[in-house]
Amino acid sequence: MTAEATDIPAIEGPKQRGFLRALLTSPNGAIGLAIVALLVLAALTASWVAPYDPLRMAAGPRLQPPSLDHWMGTDDFGRDVLSRILYGARLTLQIGVIAVGISLTSGLLLGLVAGYASGWVERILMRLVDVLFSFTEIVIALSCLAIFGVGLTNAMIAIGIASIPFYARVTHSVVLVEKNKPYFEGAVSVGAGHLRLIFVHLLPNVVPTLIVVGTLGVSTAVLAAAGLSFLGLGAQPPQPEWGFMLSASRDLISRAPWMMIFPGLAIAITVLGFNLLGDGVREVLDPRQRER
Amino acid sequence: MIRFILQRLVAAAVTIWIATIAVTILIHLVPGDPVRIMYGSFQTTPEELDAIRTRLGLDQPIWIQYLYYIERLFHGDLGRSIVGDQPVLDILLTRFPATLELTLASLAIAIVVGMSLGFYAAYKRGTWIDAGSMVLAIVGVSMPHFWLGLLLLFLFALKLNWLSVAGGDWKSLILPAMTLGLANAAVLARLTRSAMIDIFDQDFVRTARAKGLPKTLVLYRHALRSGLVPIVAMLGLQFAYLMGGAIVVENVFAWNGVGRLAIEAVFARDYPLIQGFILFFATVVAMASVVVDVAYAFLDPRIRYS
Repeated sequence: MTAEATDIPAIEGPKQRGFLRALLTSPNGAIGLAIVALLVLAALTASWVAPYDPLRMAAGPRLQPPSLDHWMGTDDFGRDVLSRILYGARLTLQIGVIAVGISLTSGLLLGLVAGYASGWVERILMRLVDVLFSFTEIVIALSCLAIFGVGLTNAMIAIGIASIPFYARVTHSVVLVEKNKPYFEGAVSVGAGHLRLIFVHLLPNVVPTLIVVGTLGVSTAVLAAAGLSFLGLGAQPPQPEWGFMLSASRDLISRAPWMMIFPGLAIAITVLGFNLLGDGVREVLDPRQRER
Repeated sequence: MIRFILQRLVAAAVTIWIATIAVTILIHLVPGDPVRIMYGSFQTTPEELDAIRTRLGLDQPIWIQYLYYIERLFHGDLGRSIVGDQPVLDILLTRFPATLELTLASLAIAIVVGMSLGFYAAYKRGTWIDAGSMVLAIVGVSMPHFWLGLLLLFLFALKLNWLSVAGGDWKSLILPAMTLGLANAAVLARLTRSAMIDIFDQDFVRTARAKGLPKTLVLYRHALRSGLVPIVAMLGLQFAYLMGGAIVVENVFAWNGVGRLAIEAVFARDYPLIQGFILFFATVVAMASVVVDVAYAFLDPRIRYS
């Protein structure tokens, strides 16, 4: 325990209040946090703020360009695009949380075990992770969807599974660094058990890195889910999912470009928000990165 | 060097071998009866389904199926597609050139745009040019491929009428390749910038400058050459990402490659075709990474002796 205090881990977890202040002083962090806060707000208040029911057909005339009644226009079923985008924020957040939750926890466990165990367990696990990693996420996700069948929930799970190798790799590399530090060697020499070594000593030192990677991972997950929905493999009609809305706009691009512009903008801004927030958190947790 | 190449080839073979196991298991993970799912939309009697099961070997224990699969694989037989009833390998080989064309064209765009942007930003570090390039790069990273594709389509094909996407000639390649290439250029720009900043700070660059060598000589002969090493190492992964990205972009532009084929196969639950695609993809990516690793070892001798 005492040995921990004398050493500086790869990325150190700072105190909470200072953390938020530091995050807000970094331009990346502040803009990212603002975008993500806006997204959360949209998701939470969609049912009050949205001017129309997102699923209601003929809420206005069909293919209406943006106007005072319909700020982002209407789609080919006369549904209000703005309302659909606001409700879509809920699905987007859900996708981010579920997909990253799956990949982060599984990857974390895998990486911790592989890094801690060393020897043949490590070799086999990491070799497998490397192979899966080289298949790329989209192919793993497609394989999962081929097994489970299409749909938004399955797409979230598929994306979660597809990113496990990435998180396992990151965790593994941090564990390798931490294992060679004096605090860990100290804990081993006083006879701490396996579980204690893994969960009390290694885990807390892996978490700060994973917070950064996980925040950036939300953007990857949102992008991947929108991509799958765009291909018709994720969200199904009439779900107001942004990728699916984009896909529906394809045949109407020249007649109703707003159907393509706004959902795309929503995805891009959300992904940008999580990317900036991730960069900001990294700058705060690892000041050496600030120069980069 | 030969030893190094052999090592890399063995690693690639292991990857492909694991892929064969994965695709054999895949069909058994399908909840319910895969034969019923595959042929459910056709008019089939229970007897016919049994016959199909026997033909596909699905009534055998899984390890026997695996051995059959491997044996057929060595004869270049990836099974027959369910929808078109054609050999899977033939279908993949007919459609692969289009994907390769798209991937290589995008890689060229990503390298030219991404590396120049990253290099210039690192050179002008701390100026508005640096900041501007990196804002551009992070926006590029955040931009969904498919949306960029639709925007380019809207602008260049529909509004300006400059480029068409039909026809299948080189002109129809421009928009898909730009879509896929620009999205990856952003990733490469960020990588290049941080690699070059590391190099510019190093003693040998400072020494070269201090002894009075012309700036351009230091930049291109000293800095760029060492800066290229970590970037070349990333190209294998970039190629894999581009191949993966091609799956989406091909669908935006109705580009007739293996990516579009894969999506059609998932929709149709055409398992032999899906299995063939995964194995094919894994093989192409594994071979590409061997090529990149060898190039990397060529540039940096430390790699092949470690």
